[in-house]
Amino acid sequence: MADSLEDLKARVRALKADFEAALGPAGDATGLQSVRDRFLGRKAGAVTALLKSLGGLADDARREAGRELNELKDDLEAKLEAAKTSLEAKAGALRLERESLDVTLPGRVPARGRRHPLVSTREALEDVFLSMGYEVYDGPEVEDDFHCFEALNMPPDHPARDMQDTFYVDVPGPSDLLLRTHTSSGQIRYMLENAHPPEVRIICPGKVYRRDNDITHSPMFQQIEGLVVGRGISVSDLKGTIEAFLHRLFGEKYPVRFRCSYFPYTEPSVEADLSCIVCDGKGCRVCKQTGWIEILGSGMVDPAVFEKVNEHLGRVVYDPEEVTGFAFGLGIDRVAMIRHGIDDIRLFYGGDLRFLEQFRG
Amino acid sequence: MRILLSWLREHVEVTVPVETLAADLTEVGLAVDGIENIPGDAVLDIDVTTNRVDCMNVRGVAREVAVLYKTSLKPLDVTFAETGALASTALTVAIDAPDLCPRFCARVLDVKMGPSPPWLRERLEALGQRSISNIVDLTNYVMLELGQPTHAFDLAKIPGAALRVRWAREGESLQTLDGVERKLKASHGVVSGPEIGLALAGIMGGASSEIGDGTRTVALEAAYWDPLSIRRGARALGMHTEASHRFERGADPEGPVTALARFAHLLQKIGAGTTRPGLIDVHPAPRRTARLALRPERQRAVLGVDVPDAQRRQILAGLGFKGETPAIEVPSWRGDVSREIDLVEEVGRHYGINKIPSTLPPARRPGGLRPAQVLERRLRDVLVGAGLSEVVSYSFVSRADAGAVRLSNPLADNQPVLRTSLVDPGLTDVLRLNLSHGRRDVRIFEIGRVYQVREGQLPREDSRLAFLLSGTPARHWSEKARPADFFDGSGLVELLASAMGWSRPVFEKGNPEPILHSGRSAAVRTGGQQVGWVGALQPEFSKDLGLRQEAIVGELVLSELIAKAPAAERFATLPTQPGTSRDLSVVCDRGLPARDIESTVRGAAGRLLRDVMVSDRFEGGSLPAGKVSLTVTLRYQEKERTLTSEEVQESVSAVVTALKGRGAEIRGE
Ligand SMILES: [Zn+2]
Repeated sequence: MADSLEDLKARVRALKADFEAALGPAGDATGLQSVRDRFLGRKAGAVTALLKSLGGLADDARREAGRELNELKDDLEAKLEAAKTSLEAKAGALRLERESLDVTLPGRVPARGRRHPLVSTREALEDVFLSMGYEVYDGPEVEDDFHCFEALNMPPDHPARDMQDTFYVDVPGPSDLLLRTHTSSGQIRYMLENAHPPEVRIICPGKVYRRDNDITHSPMFQQIEGLVVGRGISVSDLKGTIEAFLHRLFGEKYPVRFRCSYFPYTEPSVEADLSCIVCDGKGCRVCKQTGWIEILGSGMVDPAVFEKVNEHLGRVVYDPEEVTGFAFGLGIDRVAMIRHGIDDIRLFYGGDLRFLEQFRG
Repeated sequence: MRILLSWLREHVEVTVPVETLAADLTEVGLAVDGIENIPGDAVLDIDVTTNRVDCMNVRGVAREVAVLYKTSLKPLDVTFAETGALASTALTVAIDAPDLCPRFCARVLDVKMGPSPPWLRERLEALGQRSISNIVDLTNYVMLELGQPTHAFDLAKIPGAALRVRWAREGESLQTLDGVERKLKASHGVVSGPEIGLALAGIMGGASSEIGDGTRTVALEAAYWDPLSIRRGARALGMHTEASHRFERGADPEGPVTALARFAHLLQKIGAGTTRPGLIDVHPAPRRTARLALRPERQRAVLGVDVPDAQRRQILAGLGFKGETPAIEVPSWRGDVSREIDLVEEVGRHYGINKIPSTLPPARRPGGLRPAQVLERRLRDVLVGAGLSEVVSYSFVSRADAGAVRLSNPLADNQPVLRTSLVDPGLTDVLRLNLSHGRRDVRIFEIGRVYQVREGQLPREDSRLAFLLSGTPARHWSEKARPADFFDGSGLVELLASAMGWSRPVFEKGNPEPILHSGRSAAVRTGGQQVGWVGALQPEFSKDLGLRQEAIVGELVLSELIAKAPAAERFATLPTQPGTSRDLSVVCDRGLPARDIESTVRGAAGRLLRDVMVSDRFEGGSLPAGKVSLTVTLRYQEKERTLTSEEVQESVSAVVTALKGRGAEIRGE
């Protein structure tokens, strides 16, 4: 029996001390439960016992004592709850510790292949022209003399044929078959196949063949050639197109210069040089100390080419008095070599994974 | 073409530094590939394009320089004194073949053979030419200066002192100056005596009339030869000389007269002889001067810029053109100019290509990739995403199937045909190469063409996809290695089909290709058509390659597969209820294809079955020999409601009955 409020308060203090002493060593859920049973159990708990002992107190004192004991109860509940949370957190931390990995071990990298650097380069080139409204056209690789040479203003015995040492093909039937030496043959085919209206805006990417084999020449290589035909197409348009293309591909900061040249199927003929992207035009091994990289050949379509196409069609579709056009061509291999600093063209065609896997693809 | 700066300066004033000169020449089309500085002088290495034979000499380059810097050519000194009897009394010339030789000029010279004076030697040597004797050196000098090749005959060695220009007799032989005995054809031109040939026309002189120390009198030839005749003749003999290089590109028909006069002038200047009076000039086919129009509007249409009239006149006059449109006279040395467009180019070149403004032509139609091109890009993305790397191989190979296209002039004897498959030779060679580098896993593909002869037409070119999987991809430390096998190959085809929208592929066992393992290969069909094959390489073949594990190869004919874009996918309403599945353990003959079991299941299960797949397989153990156990998973679903176990069981029972009907035993049933 509590004799007085003071007596009760003393007992509460003692009980609290007991509680703290009991809670301290309780290391798991079972330990906590037995502490709860001992102090807060409905029947035999110490707090319940104290509540039962209030009978001897005056009403006022009993009310205060009741409040005191309820606070005690809440306090013990809160401490038990906090102890439980803390125990759980500890257990959780232990589990995470147990499950920890060496995160520095190699990860499981999904298998990834690589696109061929010539294909990435070709698609980058194509994409620039696609954005300017071009179509992509590709003709046969085994061509006849007409499409590869004659229609391009290179009749038999033309000295320019020497520049393109040709592979000839030996098949029954046609006697003038060859492996195309440039994709310009595709331009002729396109004009013949798309005779109306005389509006052309194409690029012809593809494999071409020349009898040559060293670190800068491969007997098979890849070109991309373009053709634009229409009314009012001029050297200005040729220059603007080539500058836009080179700037998009390599960046605006590299100047482009033009110089006159000669191709049998264009007139005037113009070559474009790009300020060396390796040395910023200061002069290096890649640009042979000139600061310029020869990148592209081009020119206004020679009227003789239109005339040959008309002759083949049997009617005047591309009237050289009405339409003009420009053509250009560049080596995809060469662009890829410049972009990536590759010094042997033959690496493209060997399938050496040590080479291919150097590219992001 | 190497041009000595000091020599150029004798023909035109050059006030700019040599680097500026080089850049300016390059811009107008005479690409200077290099400048070699020598004491007090410089050599420009100019890459003259094949059409500009007129610039393959000092005077021609000087003309371009004069136009560039708006100055004029210095006059050429061609004065000399004539002494002795008339040349025509010492030498006669006849042209039997005017189609070969439209013009033949000659002079007769009394010479004192000896070495050249130092200035002449040095000039030739600076250009890499060896000095031989005063007369030979002068022929070279005149050619380098004016572009006109000349040839000196020892007059005493010309039988009858009479030269005839004729086509060779078939089989006629002629020893050229290089000591080679040449067998000629009727298509070769010769400068001949009454009987025997003395020189190979336009290509090289002959040994029998060669000048030497004992020569007293020279017959000096300067001719204009038909370009095509010289080109064909030189090519047939495999010869290429300084002379033929110029003649076959079209020399100046008026060049011979000037060249002989210049020679005579220099002969006199170095005191090496005198010239007899009279020019022998046989000219059966005089040239007609071309007269061309140049419409300013045409010039503008092509160049995209207005070139002022005065500037146009100045450019053309500087280049030697005379008169006004519509009758602008083309100078004799510009055989490459015969049309209005050629004049436009001349004006454009010297107006300055870099001064023409840049514009973009308006697009009048949309461009873009065609369906096959889009699909090829997608195909490549899927393959790369699946871990295969792309290779590009040569189209010519060592061997191919029947009907292959043969090259008549292959580069190497071991690559005489165009490929008929991308796999072997092809990907197998790539595998071999990478194995030789110690590579264990090779996963590659190629997309490219194969070629097949078609009677009377261009060969057929089909686009194909081939792949090769071999070895174990880089093994992770946590896993066991698993080398590629047949099912990696067939699975890859299934992946492609689903990504590309092809009908589900069907694999039919067989041996479609001799390089394949007959038990581990299949023809691939999709949409009822055979589109290719997949399989393991024959064990023998793998052994030859030194392979430790199988190599799986496959090839698909793409032309049809990617010709058309597949229709857009149709959306199906999502089911509101989950489905349910049942596993059946089916024991059957090992030889019964899993596909037959699947189709039996599909045939019997009724409309509630959504899907069926083999989810496990084993043989051996407690199973009798020749038997295999397959776990077949049946997935059921109805869109709008939950299925009752009774209706699923009804379907499963029907499936079990049907499978038993095919001789299968159902375990655990
Ligand atoms: Zn550089």
